[in-house]
Amino acid sequence: MTARARVGLAPYLFLLPFLVVFGVFVLAPLGESVVLSTRQMFGPGASVFVGLDNFRFLLHDPLFYKAVRNTLVFTAGSVFIQLPLALGLAMLLNRPGLRGRYVLRLVFFSPQLVGLVFLAVMTSVIFQKRTGVLNQALHALVGVSLDYPWLERQIMPTLILAALWMYVGFNMIYFLAALQNVDRELTEAASIDGAGPGRRFLAVTLPAIAPVGGFVVLLSILGSLQLFELPYILLTGSGPDNKGLTIVTYLYQSGFETGDLGYASAIGWVLAILLAALAVGQRLLAREARA
Amino acid sequence: MAQDREQPIAVARAFALRWPGWLAWLSPGGWVIAAIAVGTTVVVVGGGSARPSGEVRMWTFAPPHARMYEPLLEQWASEPDGRRVDLEVLSLPALERRMLGGFLSGVPVADLIEAERRVASRAFAGPLDAVGFLDLTDRLREDGLLDAINPASFSPWTFRGRIFGLPHDVHPVMLCYRADLVEAAGIDVSTIETWDDFARVMRPLMADGDGDGEPDRYLIAFWTTFPDQLEALILQAGDGFFDEEDHLRIATPTNARVVASLAGWIAGPGRIAADVPEFNAAGNKQKIDGYVVAAIMPDWLSNIWRQQMPELAGKLKLMPLPAWEPGGRRTSVWGGTMLGIPRTAEDPDRLWELAKRLYLSPELSRALYEEGDIVTPVKANWSDPIYDRPDPYFSGQAKGRMYLDLAPQVPRRTSSPFNTMAMQRVQDALVGLVELLRDRPGTDRATLESRAMDLLRVAEADVRSRMDRNVFARGETP
Repeated sequence: MTARARVGLAPYLFLLPFLVVFGVFVLAPLGESVVLSTRQMFGPGASVFVGLDNFRFLLHDPLFYKAVRNTLVFTAGSVFIQLPLALGLAMLLNRPGLRGRYVLRLVFFSPQLVGLVFLAVMTSVIFQKRTGVLNQALHALVGVSLDYPWLERQIMPTLILAALWMYVGFNMIYFLAALQNVDRELTEAASIDGAGPGRRFLAVTLPAIAPVGGFVVLLSILGSLQLFELPYILLTGSGPDNKGLTIVTYLYQSGFETGDLGYASAIGWVLAILLAALAVGQRLLAREARA
Repeated sequence: MAQDREQPIAVARAFALRWPGWLAWLSPGGWVIAAIAVGTTVVVVGGGSARPSGEVRMWTFAPPHARMYEPLLEQWASEPDGRRVDLEVLSLPALERRMLGGFLSGVPVADLIEAERRVASRAFAGPLDAVGFLDLTDRLREDGLLDAINPASFSPWTFRGRIFGLPHDVHPVMLCYRADLVEAAGIDVSTIETWDDFARVMRPLMADGDGDGEPDRYLIAFWTTFPDQLEALILQAGDGFFDEEDHLRIATPTNARVVASLAGWIAGPGRIAADVPEFNAAGNKQKIDGYVVAAIMPDWLSNIWRQQMPELAGKLKLMPLPAWEPGGRRTSVWGGTMLGIPRTAEDPDRLWELAKRLYLSPELSRALYEEGDIVTPVKANWSDPIYDRPDPYFSGQAKGRMYLDLAPQVPRRTSSPFNTMAMQRVQDALVGLVELLRDRPGTDRATLESRAMDLLRVAEADVRSRMDRNVFARGETP
């Protein structure tokens, strides 16, 4: 082997560990899940080829549609409530004159440090009937019944609220970084030209942060569509009458509670296709906007 | 730019050329990485399966069970042909994952697995030869254990007529009530025979003493979010979700009557129930405060209350569950554990002997009650005077004997893997009825039962659609 050939081989050798791990733990399971989605399973030992029957059943499965509906409601909440709030917070905490802004940034980001599981447990404690802080406070302030069942009657708003607590600070960091890169000369020039704060935001700031905004929107949508831990812990499953059932919760229930990994794989692939379509759509929109 | 690209190549070449022969194939850094990769692979592959030969592995999910078994296992190991038993306590989800993962992939699991009902039922699916546990039916028959053990205790481990587990318990259910509150109000519980009696006789305890417009306490801890209690109450009435041949039957008049009654407990003018959960600090606080008068209590739960709410010692009493109709069943069942031998286990005959020693011995039955308040399913051990011992926590009642007196009435259960799904759909039906009652509190009983039947039909149709598309559940074995 010549010295040049040996040197040429080196990058591939360095890549090899990653490729092996990626192949064994990502590509092979992906391939296996395609095979599984064409099989019907019943418990750990029974499996039979059913072709596209899992996908056919999925198209007529009312629970799947309920899961999709709930997931989309949560996603809408994430995009239309969470992101504007994150942007607003970022703009507020980007003001040089604001005292304690570094501490506030840490405060808003801090839920990320404890993780979603802890936050879900805390949310369940806060929203508990009678003993929960929220009902205690509302009872004392406006006389709301201590028994008001948030986790039975207001499941999606509660989930959205808990996600707000978790992710507003996280998304705020992205917006903050983007805002700090907005050309100050442009803003000043707009001010000199007589543009007010609203006009400056729409004409200068928003276009400048649009690429980051698009990325955050995409990240938010993809994360929301994969919602699992929050309802699983908060509602110990999917909640009364499946009001908190999400696509991934349904996937989990089908695969690990009912024991049909084939059907769960089919759900997983439908979700994967949905996610891929959204990602591609976002890229195309972003490209068009840039053009 | 070209010079920039050449520079690293030149450096790498300079390194490589200093090494003689095959060593020069990689740079020193490359060899270090390769050595780490090989070393860690050897450790992972070689170290993972190290297991002393002759050792038996056993998994359980309950630390108190493990404590009870240890002396017996040590004794077994010291016998001439005994073997050391490696007893591992796993959390229930971990045990479930390991067990199902092993059954799915064919990787050996423990030689003995103690599984809780809901976990074990995941293995009871598909054709008989696909069940990961050894069929124990013939062994049980040959050893006369089918008659020696309370018959209902076999039902959760019976799949397609074959038994795959040795039962650990009976888990009869009684009603636990706050004797201090009930007796202070001058209420005589001996006049209670049915649930209607219970609501009527106990009603004075729901007075609004503080004038806030709401009762100071409710009569029973029950809610739409309590699936185990819901199942226990439906089983008590007699129908359950599956018949004795494991055919689905959710929409029955009995089930409709029970679900309608339960909805009336939660909402409407006849409300008597409150959302006071088990295994939860807030729920425990409410129980200690007397926010609920009674709770549904299997034998094992009495132990948890004793551990978690010592403040209630001497304030509680037990009574048989009120029946759904005069002369009806006064108990039900909640929970259950079995000991199974996986098919992959070596020397199943020896393991069967060990399993019998663990579950059938009088010493262990006694320990099970002393440490866990659980009554044994082994009928020969029911004469042990320990069950007649007064229990100070329950105001001096002979709790063990009271549970054992109800053991023969405990209803049989299904092992169907669709049982959890059926229970969830019935829960959905209950939620629907409760919402109806909240919207229209004046709904009369007949309308409520008729609506309950409609909702149970929807529930049954949904579960049936999933069972019907399952070739294995249809009984076909491709």
